[in-house]
Amino acid sequence: MMHQDIFLGNGAIALGLLEAGCQVVTSYPGTPSSEILPEVVRLVRSEDLNTYVEWSTNEKVALDNAFAAAVSGKRAACCMKQVGLNVAADSLMSAAYMGTIGGLVIISCDDPGPHSSQTEQDTRLMARFAKVPVLDPCNPEEARQMAGLALDLSEEFQIPVVLRPAIRVCHARQALELREIPRNGRKASFQKEPVRWAATPKFRFLLHGELNRKLKEISRRFDSLALYNFHNLTSGRQYPLGILAGGVPYAVVKDILSEEKRDDIPVLKLGAPYPFPEKLAEDFLNACDRVLVIEETDTVIEYFLRNREKVLGRLSGHVPSEGELVPEMVYQVMDRVLRSLDLAGLKESGQGDAVELVKALNLPVRKPTLCPGCPHRASFFAIRKARPKAIFTSDIGCYTLGLNLGGVDTCLDMGAAITMASGFYHSFAQDQIDQPIVATIGDSTFYHSGAAGLLNAVYNDARFILVILDNQTTAMTGMQPTPGLGIRADASRGKAIPLERVVAGCGIDFIEVIDPYNIREMIQLIKKAGDYVKDPNGGIAVIIARHPCVIAYRDTAIPEKVKVTVTDACVECNFCLDRFECPALYKDETLGRTAVNQALCAQCGVCIQICPKGAIIAV
Amino acid sequence: MEKLNFILSGLGGQGILFMTKLLAQTALNRGLKIMAAETHGMAQRGGSVVSHLRIGDVAGSLVRAGSAHILLALDENEAYRSLPFLTGGGSLYVNAPARTLVRKQVLSYMNRMEMTCRFFPASETAMELGSPMAANLALLGFFAAFQDSPLPGHELGRTIEQASPDRFREINLKIFNRGFERGSAEREQTRGL
Repeated sequence: MMHQDIFLGNGAIALGLLEAGCQVVTSYPGTPSSEILPEVVRLVRSEDLNTYVEWSTNEKVALDNAFAAAVSGKRAACCMKQVGLNVAADSLMSAAYMGTIGGLVIISCDDPGPHSSQTEQDTRLMARFAKVPVLDPCNPEEARQMAGLALDLSEEFQIPVVLRPAIRVCHARQALELREIPRNGRKASFQKEPVRWAATPKFRFLLHGELNRKLKEISRRFDSLALYNFHNLTSGRQYPLGILAGGVPYAVVKDILSEEKRDDIPVLKLGAPYPFPEKLAEDFLNACDRVLVIEETDTVIEYFLRNREKVLGRLSGHVPSEGELVPEMVYQVMDRVLRSLDLAGLKESGQGDAVELVKALNLPVRKPTLCPGCPHRASFFAIRKARPKAIFTSDIGCYTLGLNLGGVDTCLDMGAAITMASGFYHSFAQDQIDQPIVATIGDSTFYHSGAAGLLNAVYNDARFILVILDNQTTAMTGMQPTPGLGIRADASRGKAIPLERVVAGCGIDFIEVIDPYNIREMIQLIKKAGDYVKDPNGGIAVIIARHPCVIAYRDTAIPEKVKVTVTDACVECNFCLDRFECPALYKDETLGRTAVNQALCAQCGVCIQICPKGAIIAV
Repeated sequence: MEKLNFILSGLGGQGILFMTKLLAQTALNRGLKIMAAETHGMAQRGGSVVSHLRIGDVAGSLVRAGSAHILLALDENEAYRSLPFLTGGGSLYVNAPARTLVRKQVLSYMNRMEMTCRFFPASETAMELGSPMAANLALLGFFAAFQDSPLPGHELGRTIEQASPDRFREINLKIFNRGFERGSAEREQTRGL
């Protein structure tokens, strides 16, 4: 037997890219895509390949870089989460017209649920919008194969191709058979062709026509892409109901039909849904009186089906329009549709009345919280204490959890802590209202898209306090390095670009760096910053709250550990539980006061500073 | 064995992912097919964590509610929360200090559904041996001692040996073995009854 290893879906994608000779991989981390690049790095190292990798500063930057590699004839990939593709949309739309020379695959990972994103948007619709082909794998092995197929297709038709794995592919684990990874020695070359690579609108019109012709041809190719687009109709037979499915829901449908031994219901799988395989879909629809479409997360297949009268899906109200299509949901949908058509329903689901039982238990809600010892907790506490009446604009990262501490009022998109702060400022200033505003943004998010907003805010004379929560890593997505560190994706040295320099470059004159563990000083500093913001000769004040993440820098983040305990001076005011919200502090019912869970406590000692009664002390 | 569905549940930081990995790798070493699904990102920060593991010839990575044969829970409340996954006749192995569930209505539900519930103070066991964060391995060892486990204890032990970082290898094995001993003792006791 060939050697097998268990791969995370994102690792399977990395493997597929390298097996297909991918020479350049760029990415910006974001759940559920973050592990693809580190897995590429791991394989490049173990197989001694020369693939170039980079953590780019944002998704648009990542795509532009990968596009240039493809234009130079290389095979390139760029990886991101689905909302990252919004940032890269400008690049994607134009790249579709211009096309590529070498293969270019854009991997955009969807998050039905959503589990870790601000929207449930469907990358397949973005691909349709940009007019580029999209592949939709149903498991890690297929994602691996499709990564290679995407590069082949891209190169054959000179068009960028999107691979859209959903979270249940990215974070699934499956055993894969390993084979040798070839080295791709293709050299870079650039053929100047201004009518294509720097096309003016007149030539863009021509490129658009060319793109449309490519799509027609690829649609026909997808009609016969039997490995990923196929059905199990018996020819000549007419069926009362058929199911169309793609991606993860296909795997769910397949399992349910096989468990229920229902070979009376044919399935059309569309792993390559756009450009739509018109002929294949038409054949399927002709053989079925009704078809049920089960796809995530929006309606793509459903939109493309011409005979609407036959189609049951989201548009007809048979499939929920939001949330993940988990197996029990698909089961319910299928059962309901079968019965509504007077067909045999599915068997008992095996599920008792446990859902009602659990609901009645009123279990404690486990909302995500900042870790014990997290420096952001100290920052939010100080910010709220110093500026209780402020609007707190914030951003995307672990620190969005400052919500629990009352330190986050808004979270729109990457970089919006700053742009919304300036927007709020001007809206209130217009009415002569002096509204304090404190924006918080993480270091990685600031490098991603903070600077453009800060430049704009300075230029237009907005006034607010900006606290950059610098924990020296991209914590939420799994501790990727930031440009501030000078460590690159493959752990080699890059040039460190300190936050202070970028902030100064944006025209900020008030820049102070502080360790937020020192809450008293941090409060003083925020007050000082507040005075500066109000001063007619002042401006935007930037505080860099710098303390390493206690997870990323486990051994060094807390150099002097302080064991703490709660004394009888505790009056059960719950101030620490509500306003500091450390998972290591809890209410001990038998003691009748707050206590410290020593197993969880990080021994940062910050809570000693926050108890109004001085009841939390060092042991 | 045709197909076996596991749900592993607990809180962020309790090592649910590691536990899933150990089971999956051991199954693969036996030549079995596996599919698993994990929780990452925002959901991992101290929230409820649920991992799915399917052994056998399956297409999807998620266990459908009402079809898990085994539920391994590192926290009693999370065991309750994951209960809808468990199928009639399935087994729950829960890290609980007491030898009974706090919520009696759950026990009566489980009896009605002919489910088995086994308690093991995994956190205490791990704490006694000096590694409070390794309750996951204690519970895994306990589970491995019973018939429900398609994976023999010594094979799981070998996987732990291979998968543990150097500085934790010895203590990890010690905790796993202690769980296994306790499980074996309980199994013998039940047999004697």
